[in-house]
Formats: sequence, C-alpha cells, structure tokens
Amino acid sequence: MILGLDFPPISHAIEWRDLFGTHGAFAINKVVLLMWLSVLVVAVFFFIASRRQQLVPTGVQNVAESAVDFVREGIIMQTIGKEGLFYTPFLLTVFSFVFVCNIWEIIPGAQMPVNARMALPMLMALLVWVIFNFVGVKNQGIRYLKNVCFPPGVPWPLYILVAPIEFVSTFLVRPLSLSVRLFANMLAGHLLLISFAVLSTALWNSTKVGAVLPGALLIGLTGFEILVSALQAYIFTILTAVYIGGAMHPEH
Amino acid sequence: MRTRAPLAGLLLALVLVFVGPAAANAQSSDQVKKEAKELAEKNGGKEADVNCIGDLIDGKRVDDCHKAPSPILPPTNELIWGAISFVAVFLLLWKFGWPGIKAGMNARTERIKSDLDQAEAARTEAEGVLTEYQAQVADAKGEAARIIEDARQTADAMKRDLQAQAEADIAAQRSKAASDIEAAKAQALADLRGEVATIAIGAAERVVERNLDPETNKALVESFIDQVGAGRN
Amino acid sequence: MLHVLAAQDSGELVQGLTAVGRGIVYGGAAIGPGISIGIVVGNAITAMARQPEAAGMVRTTMFLGIAFTEALALFGFVLAFIISG
Repeated sequence: MILGLDFPPISHAIEWRDLFGTHGAFAINKVVLLMWLSVLVVAVFFFIASRRQQLVPTGVQNVAESAVDFVREGIIMQTIGKEGLFYTPFLLTVFSFVFVCNIWEIIPGAQMPVNARMALPMLMALLVWVIFNFVGVKNQGIRYLKNVCFPPGVPWPLYILVAPIEFVSTFLVRPLSLSVRLFANMLAGHLLLISFAVLSTALWNSTKVGAVLPGALLIGLTGFEILVSALQAYIFTILTAVYIGGAMHPEH
Repeated sequence: MRTRAPLAGLLLALVLVFVGPAAANAQSSDQVKKEAKELAEKNGGKEADVNCIGDLIDGKRVDDCHKAPSPILPPTNELIWGAISFVAVFLLLWKFGWPGIKAGMNARTERIKSDLDQAEAARTEAEGVLTEYQAQVADAKGEAARIIEDARQTADAMKRDLQAQAEADIAAQRSKAASDIEAAKAQALADLRGEVATIAIGAAERVVERNLDPETNKALVESFIDQVGAGRN
Repeated sequence: MLHVLAAQDSGELVQGLTAVGRGIVYGGAAIGPGISIGIVVGNAITAMARQPEAAGMVRTTMFLGIAFTEALALFGFVLAFIISG
C-alpha cells in the first residue's frame, strides 16, 4: 500500500499459475501459451509471405519483405558485410521472434511480454554465445582466443590489464548483458504500464477527473512500449550480428 | 508471494474447520496437520505449498517455509518450452518461409536487373539512332548551305560578267562616239578650211578686181566677213 | 529512519531496509548511464547534423552505444530485484 494505492507485488505481475492441470517441467502457463502463439504468428506470417510471391509485393508479403530487407541492409550489411548474409535466416528468426514475444506486452488480453521472463532471453543469449564462439574458432582457429584477449595495437605492458578485461567482457559479460538488456527492458516496461494502470483505476474509482492525466500517460506509454518492443528486438539482433561479425574479422 | 493469498485462505479455512473442533475434541496438533495436508492435496495444492501447512499451523510465516520464486531466475518449464519454441520457429522459418521469400526476392532482383539492362540497351540503341539522325540532319544542312553558296557564287559571277560586259559596251559606245565626234570635227574643220580658203580666195579676187583704196579695201573685207558669217549662220 | 529502526519486528525492519537498498541500488546504477546516453545521443545528433549523408551509419552506431551503456543501468535494475530481505 503506497498512498492508498494497492500496487501488486512483482510476482503477481509476471508469474502465472499452471494451466490445464499440468505440473513440473512441462507445465503450461500463460507465458508458455504466448510462446506458442508467437511461434505460430511468426511461422504463419512468413509462410503466407512465401506462398504467394508477387512481383509487386502487397500486404503480408510487403511487410515480410520489409523485415527481410531491414535485417539484410539495416543490420547485416552495416555490421558484418556481405559474408554475413549466410546468417540472414537466423537473424530474421531472432528479430521477428523477439519482436512478437515483446509485442504481447500491449496486446489486450495478453498484456504480458514473454521476454519479461528470463527464460527466452537467457536461452537466446546462450545460443548467440555458442554461435559467435563457433564462428570465431571456425574462422580463426586457435588464434581466436589470442585475438580476443590480446587486441592488436596495445602496448604490451597494458596487456596485463587488457587481457582479463577483454576475456571477461567477451565471454561472460556479453551473454549476460545481452539477455539482461532484453529482459530488464521488457520487465521495466511491463511494470511501468501496470503502475499507471493501477493508478488510473484507483483515481477513476475515487475522483474520475483525476484519472485523466495518468490515463493519457498510460496511452502514451503504451505507444512508447511499442517503440521499445521494436527497438529491443532491433538491438538484440544487431548485437548478435556485431558479435558474429567481430568473431569473423579479428581486426575489430 | 503469489502463493500467499491461497495459503492464507487455506489457513483460514483450516482454522474454521479444524482448530475449533480440535480444541473441543482435544485432538493432537499432529492429527490436525495431517488432515489439513490431505485436504489441501485433495484440492489440488502444490506439493511445496502443502508442506507449508504444518509450519503455518505452528504459527510461522509463509516466508519461513518457502520463499517467493525469484523474478529473475527462469522456471524450468518456461526454459524448456522456450527452447522448443525457438527451435520450432527457426526450423519453420528456415524450411518453409525463407526459401520462398528468398526465391521471390531474388527473382525480383533478377527481373529488375534484366529490365534495367533492357532499358539500358534500348537507350543505347535510341542514342545510336539519334546520333545517326543528327548526322544526317547535319549533312543535309551542309548540303543546303553548299547549294546556297554555289548559287550565290554563280549569281556573283553572273553579276560580275554582266557588269563587265555592260562597262565594256559603254566604253565601246563612248569611244565610238568620241571617234565619231573626232571625225565630224575633222570633217567640219576640213570643210571649214576649204570654205575659208574659197572665201578668202573670193575675197582676194574681189580685192584684186576692184583695187580700191585701203579704206574701201577694209570695208570690203569686213562686209565679206559679215557676209560669210551671215552665210554661216 | 527512526521509524524503521524502532520497528519491533525484525522482519519489518529487514523489509524496510531492503526497500531502501533497492531504491539506492537502482538510483545509483542509473546515474552514470543516464549521463552517458545523453552524451552518446548528443554527439550522434551533432555528427548527423554535420554530415547528413552519414546519418544511417551514425544511427546504427548510436543504437549500439546506447545499448552498451544502457546495460549498466539494467544490471542495477535486475540487482534491485536480486536483493532480498
């Protein structure tokens, strides 16, 4: 209870009870259902876009091709270059899946960003970690570790300082920050929307007029969260591309 | 935290259902706990929650029994389903969506490229035709200029010829006129000379015939000259 | 503060101090990134205004810079949840 408002504890906002009498490791809750829906949405969307290929794209095909073009030109060409086009399907999956999982935050009825739970961000960050290290070892062999820890162009006494920092930042902080960035952004947005919704409801019940300002802010913040959802999907994808590109070209 | 509300409700129910009769029947606390657990299990309570009932009856807090799940650490079921979902969406997109989109976009790229190539070829051809046409026009213009120049030169030449001829004619006429005049003059002079000689002879004859004094002589000559002059007029 | 210290129940005391700690952790963690993101975006705008033709590249790099900087604030955000009484 703060100022007469009953803000729900955080676990009420993001944890959901198991549904359909399921328990244990394969228990199904709202978040899992939304994951399934996201899979369905992304797969069906790109399936439809690929079925009816028209020369002049319209509707779904247009949106899908804009997404592909964005991943290709806006992300891969800007960070990796031409040889990164091999990773387009993977990065396209990451981008669209993260975005759809995020956008549930503002869909009425769902209103729960899947990425506000640590599961998906952590899994994807670990996958990205595996992929960029694999790419590094494949492209540079055993020198990958040396190139990471001892970046060229540094006077050698500084390596005592630089090498551990580079090692930690590449192999530990990268996956951590990648997952935490997505997770914390979505959680914070979710909590923000909940706070304003609670505030608006309480003020509506008591004074009516007082709910105008927080209600307007709630609408504005909902729009802002759409932006954040897209931006976080973009940032997650472009960081993945940057990590893969960095593992390909050691001179970075 | 989520488990608190149901647990509190459960506890309240237990107090109402069991604790009152328990005091009356002097049942042991263990008996109450056991029955409460059975009831909770029957109603579908989670194992972790059910195990808390004993502690709750002993007057402890829910937090003492088990902590609210961390909002940070992912639960196992979400991890497993998340992994399955990601792999599923990647495979679906890779196998079914991507080839079609890629083929479509590549086909469009090819099509646009070939269209551009064709347009380029057509443009080159049009430029060739235009150049040729321009060359022809330039030729025609040069030809026309040449013809005009020829005509002008011809006209000039003709003009010059005509002028020269005209001048020659004029000069010839003029010289002929001059010579005619000369001849007429010479003729006139010759005529005059002959006449003067005749007149002089006549005058002399008269002078000689009359043999007069100088005054008469003079008057005679003068009258003769007057006579001649009048006769000439 | 006295109220907090005067609380009879040690559980309440811990709870209250936890809440204070959470606030301090997140507030402290947000200072640096807040300033840094301002610097990053400000310089990006300067660069874009000077060379509008390079705006695309600058924007990409700007988002990367924001992402790296923002991560620190978000670590604080998560740390605030990890602190438990």
